[in-house]
Amino acid sequence: MKKVYVGMSGGVDSSVSALLLKEQGYCVIGVYMKNWSQDLPGMKCPWAEDLADAKRVAVKLGIDFEVWDFENAYREKVVEYMLDEFKKGNTPNPDIMCNQEIKFKLFYEKAMEAGADYIATGHYARIKTLSDNSYSGSRRSRPSPRGERANPRAAALRNTPSQELSEQTLLMRAVDENKDQTYFLYRISDEALAHTIFPIGEMLKPEVKKLAEKHGLHNAYKKESMGVCFVGEVGMKDFLKEYIDIEPGEIREIESEKVLGYHEGAVFYTIGQRHGLYLNGEKGTVNDGMPYYVVKKDIKNNIVYVSKNLNHEAIWTKELELKDILLHQDVNSSVQVRLRHRAPLIPATFDGKTLHFGKEIKRPASGQSAVLYDGEVCLGGGIIV
Amino acid sequence: MIYLDHAAATPVSDKVLEAMRPYFSVDFFNPSAAYLPAKKVAADYENAKGVIAHAVGAKASDLVITAGATEANNLAFTAIQTRSCPSFSERSLAPVVTGLGRSVFSTSENMLLERGHPSRLLYLETEHESVRAVADSYGGQAVKVLSNGLIDLDDLKAKITDDTQMISVSLANNELGTIQPMAEIASIIREIKIDRMKRGIKTQLLLHSDASQALNLLDINVARLGVDLLTLNAAKVYGPKGVGALYVSHDAKLKPLTLGGGQEKGLRSGTENVPGVIGFAKAIELAKEHLNGNRKKYASWRKILLSELSGYELINKKHCLDNFVVVSFPGLDAERLIFLLEEEGVYVATGAACAASKGEKSHVLKAIGLTEEQITGSLRITFGEMNNEEQIHEAASIINSVIKNEQKRISK
Repeated sequence: MKKVYVGMSGGVDSSVSALLLKEQGYCVIGVYMKNWSQDLPGMKCPWAEDLADAKRVAVKLGIDFEVWDFENAYREKVVEYMLDEFKKGNTPNPDIMCNQEIKFKLFYEKAMEAGADYIATGHYARIKTLSDNSYSGSRRSRPSPRGERANPRAAALRNTPSQELSEQTLLMRAVDENKDQTYFLYRISDEALAHTIFPIGEMLKPEVKKLAEKHGLHNAYKKESMGVCFVGEVGMKDFLKEYIDIEPGEIREIESEKVLGYHEGAVFYTIGQRHGLYLNGEKGTVNDGMPYYVVKKDIKNNIVYVSKNLNHEAIWTKELELKDILLHQDVNSSVQVRLRHRAPLIPATFDGKTLHFGKEIKRPASGQSAVLYDGEVCLGGGIIV
Repeated sequence: MIYLDHAAATPVSDKVLEAMRPYFSVDFFNPSAAYLPAKKVAADYENAKGVIAHAVGAKASDLVITAGATEANNLAFTAIQTRSCPSFSERSLAPVVTGLGRSVFSTSENMLLERGHPSRLLYLETEHESVRAVADSYGGQAVKVLSNGLIDLDDLKAKITDDTQMISVSLANNELGTIQPMAEIASIIREIKIDRMKRGIKTQLLLHSDASQALNLLDINVARLGVDLLTLNAAKVYGPKGVGALYVSHDAKLKPLTLGGGQEKGLRSGTENVPGVIGFAKAIELAKEHLNGNRKKYASWRKILLSELSGYELINKKHCLDNFVVVSFPGLDAERLIFLLEEEGVYVATGAACAASKGEKSHVLKAIGLTEEQITGSLRITFGEMNNEEQIHEAASIINSVIKNEQKRISK
């Protein structure tokens, strides 16, 4: 029997993932990854409740359950990375880092050491191996997710026990366009990908919930967690305040260098932001009803520059230079790009380093990721410079 | 449903609910108001306090009503005199960020030890969080227990210094039901007080006890126990949640945690929780009435359960409340058992209801020297008025079958 270690967060997605794997006949071991347990003022970290939720489901399914502690690695690889980036004035994405460094690296490695054939998570994404001709990749040909051979990926892999790693493994967008999480997954290694199952990638969220209900999984009704897990409800700003020394500073108009107001700390602001600016200049100049936009951050001198000019070059661009580029395969020059989770795909050309857009786009904050697609296939991506 | 977790919560009994009802919407007046109906409410409130006080051999004026046992415990420790030491408010309870991920709630323990202050407060290491957390903020020092869960009196004597101002020992432990020898502790304290007087040392030495778990199972009398401060709780004796009381002897001088209109002799401001206190009084009255009968009943159920269960190791062997059964199933994970039993309609607890709130292993079971395996396999079963004998037989058979299935699953 093939052994799968499934990351269980206590949420409905990973719970149903475990359920499906069990029904497909795998030997399933549920693992709660303990990555963060720190409370913040005004927020109790819900890790222990999440753990209990995950365990309750594991018990209900009759599968083994373990807790793996990655707190130190998470702090170092995800949280410290994030803080460093913020200090540099960038806006990093810790979820992408968590997938790259923790879930699809440490968890993957530890599972493999423990004798796993695969790991699985409750992400909305799909995987396709190119040698698997039986699977066209068409959404419509999707078989029932709960049939014996529900997951085509799983079925394919079971048919080829000594799979060749030379096979190309493709990361594909989820069937549920609303939930597709490939934006967060583009940096995971091909090796991990080749040993990963996403059991709910073929399903729509309402179907996942319904299935959980049908099987009496209590977390069918659990409130969905939003945003960065360790920041929780307090929000990124409050989190950063705990960990970064910040000083209030000036907000200046870029054209005139005039001081229009003061900010709590330049790291909190992103280029293009127009909310949360507290300006108080002469009446009629500042408060004329036209919004100001953040156009520049001088981190060294802790000055935030704003402008009323919506056409300011800092806000708009036709090009995005990328760094730390990670591609899963050769990329044609013509691609589609996603600049935020759930943002629409934008056509662009890619020269291996820079994305060129046909028309001006609103510039994403540096530190965010640009993820490249060819239709359903996630090709990889890079960090916006 | 077979509810076997009465140490966690008890349902409000019908008679208690009935007694409380008029005070929500009919006799709703503020006891401090000047008109006659309000005065009647004030009198009913005082009478109810008298009933609660009487149940532990005290007077109404000795009681401070609180919002539960946790607050009462917090209030009790304000009797510690903090002259020449940083005041409670200075000792920030706000998180102190000492570097990434070490944002901790500052306990003054470190501060005090750094400053070379010996501990002014001793507490039993198996105390509830509501004692431990507060004690830590006063730089408290833990007194050890023996493997049977009873206080190590030698360790207590060794740790009492001339600076010790208070000792906190719960009457009955909330995870094991272990009943502590309060009279013996009190007599040790008396001797030390006499010795201090001889030597001209004026430092106070108070004995505090949290009696939350024991109120309906032991005959409690503050004079016999020899305590200066006693925490009481309505929620464990079929009264409403959010109501507790602190008995305060004349020797203990408290400082209020809540300032305002000066209710409860200025020690606990805030409009009186009249229905809550009426309910508490009714609950404690009923508890006293049925004390002996209940004890006999629970003792016999304990016998039944222990004879019908199989494959367990009994953890709380002696010196415990009659309704507490703590058993360990070696090789099994009690948290899994709880979920499995829940499916069968049987509600029990692990050593402490810690798993879901903190993810830590029970400090109580650790303190009595259990192995990791014993702790992991420990279930706490506590009887109460929701049960009957038939349920105990049924629970035993359900637990046995759940355990058999779980053992089968593991060996596969």
